[in-house]
Amino acid sequence: MSEWLVAALALLAGLVPCGVVGLRGDPINRLVGLEMAGTVDTLVLLLLAQAYDRAIYFDLALALALLSFAGGMVFARFLERWI
Amino acid sequence: MSPHGVLVGALLVVGVGVTLASCVGVLVMRDAYDRLHFTAPATTIAPLAIAAAIVLEERFSAAGIKALLVALVLLVTNPVLTHATARAARVRQHGEWTIQEGEQVKGANP
Repeated sequence: MSEWLVAALALLAGLVPCGVVGLRGDPINRLVGLEMAGTVDTLVLLLLAQAYDRAIYFDLALALALLSFAGGMVFARFLERWI
Repeated sequence: MSPHGVLVGALLVVGVGVTLASCVGVLVMRDAYDRLHFTAPATTIAPLAIAAAIVLEERFSAAGIKALLVALVLLVTNPVLTHATARAARVRQHGEWTIQEGEQVKGANP
């Protein structure tokens, strides 16, 4: 197992606190948990792409980084309007 | 182990460690504003450390450049997202996000 795979597996443990935050409290706190989970997922994909040594897999991390930003903005906008 | 390998390993440890610490910080803080602070290290230090490790390994090939691009995107977009989320939290709390009548704010003009 390469050091990249070990790092990716270690980072996956970081999703547990994000999930706990995302399941408790009011919608804003849950949104923060979701945003943090998106960041952690992006980094995991980055490390996995390097672990499997495929340049094309880096596009997944890039797409997730952009889409989790867009998703977070949409959620924030909706929560501002009490939906 | 070569100095190159040690450096890559150290950068990975920094990236993973900072992210895990941020996740724990998000979990233990009291409210959304405090929690939002802890998303910052995970989107600045961690992606840069991991992208630097990948560039050290791959040089400036397609993989290295894309890794740097991902780090750059996280670096640019997360402050915007944090601001929008904090604003949404304040709108839910006070009706609008500006300073309210009679509210004491440290550092604000009287």
